Amino acid sequence: MSEMTHSQVEELAGAFALGALDSDEEAAVRAHLAECGEAHPEMEAALGAGIVMAESLDPVDPSAAVRDRLMATIERTPQAHRQAVAQPVRQSRRGWLDWLSPRVARPLAIAAMAAVIAVGAWSLGLQSQLNQRDAALRAVASAISGGQAAFRVEGNAGRGYVVDTPGRGAALVVTDLAELPPHRIYELWLLNPAGSPVAVGTLTSTDDAIAVVQLERDLSGFSIFAVTVEAERVAAPSSDPVILGVLGSS
Amino acid sequence: MTDSATLQDDGLLAQRIRSGDRAALGEVYDRHASAAMAVALRIVADREGAEDLVHDTFVAIWQKIDRFDPARGSLRSWIVTIVRNRAIDRLRGTRPSIEIGEADERSLLRSGPNPTWESAMARLGGIQLRAALDELPAEQRQAVELAYFGGRTYREIATITGVPLGTANGRLRLALARLRERLSQTEAAPIGAGDER
Repeated sequence: MSEMTHSQVEELAGAFALGALDSDEEAAVRAHLAECGEAHPEMEAALGAGIVMAESLDPVDPSAAVRDRLMATIERTPQAHRQAVAQPVRQSRRGWLDWLSPRVARPLAIAAMAAVIAVGAWSLGLQSQLNQRDAALRAVASAISGGQAAFRVEGNAGRGYVVDTPGRGAALVVTDLAELPPHRIYELWLLNPAGSPVAVGTLTSTDDAIAVVQLERDLSGFSIFAVTVEAERVAAPSSDPVILGVLGSS
Repeated sequence: MTDSATLQDDGLLAQRIRSGDRAALGEVYDRHASAAMAVALRIVADREGAEDLVHDTFVAIWQKIDRFDPARGSLRSWIVTIVRNRAIDRLRGTRPSIEIGEADERSLLRSGPNPTWESAMARLGGIQLRAALDELPAEQRQAVELAYFGGRTYREIATITGVPLGTANGRLRLALARLRERLSQTEAAPIGAGDER
């Protein structure tokens, strides 16, 4: 369909809002709206009208079996965004301050979560057994009782959570940790909103299925957690992060 | 009715789903499945088919929760939009998809945000919304129902109702304008006078 004029688009506002345009017309309206700098008062007023039609209906409960089927389905269904969050880290050759750029922070912010966990509940899982490891991480991911915050972190070197326990400090719990090159260590960092990194610990062994490291600082005042690979403990990171996470609000 | 507390809770639930919390999806289902089911059943007129659509819709919510943007409308609006699109696809014989497809993405642009409609949802119950629809002239109500629940384009509506294209399109425009005016003037019903939603 050829280009539409401003007035033609306005005339089709009702049909557009109710999904009553054929595909060519809809594409033409959409193209116009994307390019046109003028106001579209009728279009703006009409958008979203479908919800009124839906809400005018009497609610109808699906049978209980639908809910059961749904919960079984999602048990084996991955979420799309979870398969993509490590990508910026994997491809990154960025400077430290660039970690805070929207391009990097946004996908990570999507992954950042404010879940609560009871640390004691999964401390029994720290026995280097795969099933216990998985159970512990599931507990972190889905925990909703207790009073602590857990923030998802991940990257090329592994994945896990930074857990903040009031009065007990913060800890990194990480699984699937990649083997270190010879004579290298993992160094842990917290970054404040200005991008200044503070070293908060090291990790030298990757033998355990789950690694737990108590951070040397609590999370207050910091917005990013990161891990780098270093030759020795250093005061400022010398390489790009291999694990990264946003410390969102809890 | 979708009050402000519900909207806030839905925002938190969406965050929990995004973090992989399956129980949160269950809570969202408990809140909104009956609205989704009503739309699906109205469109496909087949309970088993409608339940399949509701199931697939919530699976899609789980998979693509990162596409949900509260700045563009409520979670309930998003869910209803997705189930409506899928039901129309089924009605037309289009292959249903468990993914949130391009049509759903496009519909997000149609689903808002719009302060008039969202405000009406927050204040009014189903009975009042039905009353506002009932007050439309019959030909306008027929047009919006053919469009929304029948998945008909205004060109098809013109053919079905035997009127010129401009008339069919005009009925949709007028119907929405009248609804908007009516809902903006309608006060919330006293407690006990509305429905249970």
